[in-house]
Amino acid sequence: MKRPVIAPPRPWTFPAPRTARLDNGLAVQAFHRPGQHLINATLVLDLPLHTEPPDSEGVSAVLQRCLDEGTATHPGTEYAERLENCGAVLGAGISYAATHVSLEVPSTRFAAALPLFAEAVTEPTLDDADVRRHVALRLAEIEQQRAHPVHRGAEAFRAAVIAGEFRAARPVAGSASTVEGISTEKVRARYHAQYGPARGTLVLAGDFGSDPLPLVAQAFGGWHRPAAKAVAEQPGAGAQQVLLIDRPGAVQADVRLGSFGIDRTDARWPALRLGAFVLGGGFLSRLNRVLREERGYTYGVQLTNVPARHGGLLAVHASFRTDVAAAAIAEARELIRVDGERAISADELAGAVNYLIGITPLRCATAAGITDQVAALIEAGLDADFVNRHAAQLQRVTPDEATAAISDLLPPDGLTLVVVGDAEALAEPLRAQGLDPTVVTERSGAGLSDPSA
Amino acid sequence: MGRMSADVRYSLHQATLDNGLRVIINPDSSVPVVAVNLWYDVGSRDERPGRTGLAHLFEHLMFEGSAQVAAGEHLAAVQGVGGSANATTWFDRTNYFETVPTGALDLALWLEAERLATLEVTQHNLDTQRDVVLEEKRQRYDNVPYGDVLIHLVELTFPAEHPYGHPTIGSMDDLAAATLADAHRFFATHYVPNNAVLTLVGDVEPADALRRVAASFGQLARGNHVARAETPPLPPLTGVPRREVSAAVPADAVYLTWRLPPRDTVAFDAVELALAVLGDGQTSRLHRRLVRTDTIAEGAGASATGMIGGNSIGFAHARALPQVSADELEAAIVDELDRLRDRGPSADEVDRAKAQYERAWLGELARFDSRADLFSGYATLHGDPDAVNRRLDDVRSLTVDAVAQAASTILDPAQRAVLTYRKVTS
Repeated sequence: MKRPVIAPPRPWTFPAPRTARLDNGLAVQAFHRPGQHLINATLVLDLPLHTEPPDSEGVSAVLQRCLDEGTATHPGTEYAERLENCGAVLGAGISYAATHVSLEVPSTRFAAALPLFAEAVTEPTLDDADVRRHVALRLAEIEQQRAHPVHRGAEAFRAAVIAGEFRAARPVAGSASTVEGISTEKVRARYHAQYGPARGTLVLAGDFGSDPLPLVAQAFGGWHRPAAKAVAEQPGAGAQQVLLIDRPGAVQADVRLGSFGIDRTDARWPALRLGAFVLGGGFLSRLNRVLREERGYTYGVQLTNVPARHGGLLAVHASFRTDVAAAAIAEARELIRVDGERAISADELAGAVNYLIGITPLRCATAAGITDQVAALIEAGLDADFVNRHAAQLQRVTPDEATAAISDLLPPDGLTLVVVGDAEALAEPLRAQGLDPTVVTERSGAGLSDPSA
Repeated sequence: MGRMSADVRYSLHQATLDNGLRVIINPDSSVPVVAVNLWYDVGSRDERPGRTGLAHLFEHLMFEGSAQVAAGEHLAAVQGVGGSANATTWFDRTNYFETVPTGALDLALWLEAERLATLEVTQHNLDTQRDVVLEEKRQRYDNVPYGDVLIHLVELTFPAEHPYGHPTIGSMDDLAAATLADAHRFFATHYVPNNAVLTLVGDVEPADALRRVAASFGQLARGNHVARAETPPLPPLTGVPRREVSAAVPADAVYLTWRLPPRDTVAFDAVELALAVLGDGQTSRLHRRLVRTDTIAEGAGASATGMIGGNSIGFAHARALPQVSADELEAAIVDELDRLRDRGPSADEVDRAKAQYERAWLGELARFDSRADLFSGYATLHGDPDAVNRRLDDVRSLTVDAVAQAASTILDPAQRAVLTYRKVTS
């Protein structure tokens, strides 16, 4: 049988929400999605982390983790019992610009769960025992993350490519030395200063039997807490570094080679997304085709491109087995060059456009897919229609623009390299490739964000 | 008050092609996308001794090209039309799936049929993908703390020669020994239309979709597939088998396992709810006791993994806070097991476990790809995709007594196996 001809996709646009604003200032966006029997509601609160006291960084994360440990109306574990009885679950996310709290619940029990969701945000008790427990749990989590090569690499890369004076260079949930300084008073003070309806947008999606807005007004309308307007930090890039973080005996090296990137508001964003897909997004991307499919060096290599409110992180990321890691890094650096003959071609670009446009309805098929997308945009200061505008922009990007975005933002010889692996086995081969790594050992590890330490 | 439980049913259109391929179609036009999902009834349980890991290695080879498709092009072609594709291997199955804009349905079907008809496995592909799988094992199992947990647990819970006695990733020695002839034999034995179920979920009209399926797969010949021998259920574990792993992990941890009844039986469903009462969520007994009250664990939980071949596996686990030993964790878990078995769960706890089951189940149904996977799975393992539509009723109908009974008879600490990680400071 011959390869079939593809019919063009049925046109699809990101749905428009029903919007409203409660008297207390809380913005609401509701997406009715027939057939989606799980409702997802996500509250996005502007909450920049650079306003955390330097001696208790992580206080916002601990606060967020305590929200479901009891409310004024349902103290202690009674709260979680009520919530779980509805078949509901609360989720949470935190970035350097915003805090997200989300509810997922079967549509049949949405009306019962929504007031409970509101309680967690509007009247958490923030008990001393809960705060102390979550501080201890965060300290244990830091140990777990340190032991994990991917976490360790992500944290070190962030600390390296973002200049050290910015909050975004340091862990979102705090470091051991700052988490130890988090007290119940500080958590409560943070809550009172930062949580308020005027800072928030509630995004809802799912199959609503009836209009959800009256329920939202009932649950959140009584929330009155002024919180000063928040302005997010604008971080800047750090100096180029080559770091080798020692994990004695590791059988693979977790590798990140990249730079401080851009966010969705940058005019180059569509071009960068396309270029990043060509180099390291698709299965037969320039990087994966060679390093996985031809060489068998890795289970997979990607060029990750993650936008923040201001700026972003751009990195080639893979785990390579130790004995080929240095060679793989050198080859990766060649594979991301887009000069001359290696410029991004029209065919490559067309495939990337098809992928990025085609994948959107697939990702937005569920209630959670819709709220995740919209919440990310709200956090970035954008509206839901950005998805449609962005799709139109993707189709206008030229191969030259995609090539230029990559060569500007990912200059192969100006990138920061962070390798987490067995330093004894890796240092010499890296030097042989012309890289001169600063080796970070367990003992010097406290100075991760300061490579001179 | 309105109905508190969702009543979710999907219309299913079923057919079997002359070559034995079972086809299931669930139309849903909410987004202009269709999920294509193909289960082959072959998993790591079908591997022969000395060739563990072959099912998974073979899954990789399925992407390495056929008569009209170059190596790696399968995934690239799907991505190039704005879709996604992948595959997974597990004890009981190997599944392949694409989610594509509706207009690309024919491409996804053709790619699947093409490799089933004319897969080309070469020594070069075999060698490269063997390297890739070794990297996958290093990345997922060897290079992360506790990454080898599943390997130890299946080895503790099942005898080595049992179909579930080795993990899907297999042994490195066996992978190294796998030959081109092994791969060809594996393909000829298991990759035949009459050993597969194809499901479409999405923006299609059933009769038209079935015609397209028949056009792609209809000309493939039925294979000589021999049904596997039934695996009889094993009796409960005895003597509390133990394994201790000393490793550079950040904290001590303990894992308990049990042999459970096979998946989607009344007994399995009841013990799954019992394990949820024990260890699912913030209000579960293990979380309350170990994390909240005693503050000895940074996390604790319990769950069941359903399998079809005679037994499933039940798990309970906890990870220690600093200065706490794995022995303390194990003692606390056993104490909670005893309490649960002595007095049974409360009606409130069982209702909560059912409500949480419902949410998780609706979550699987929400996405086209995971919904399609459920239909393929129930058709393959239980012979009836419509069981998906009855699933919530089945779980809701379980009584508190049935859950108490399951806890008491199955989750006996005397019938557990124990894996302990002890932190070694280098």
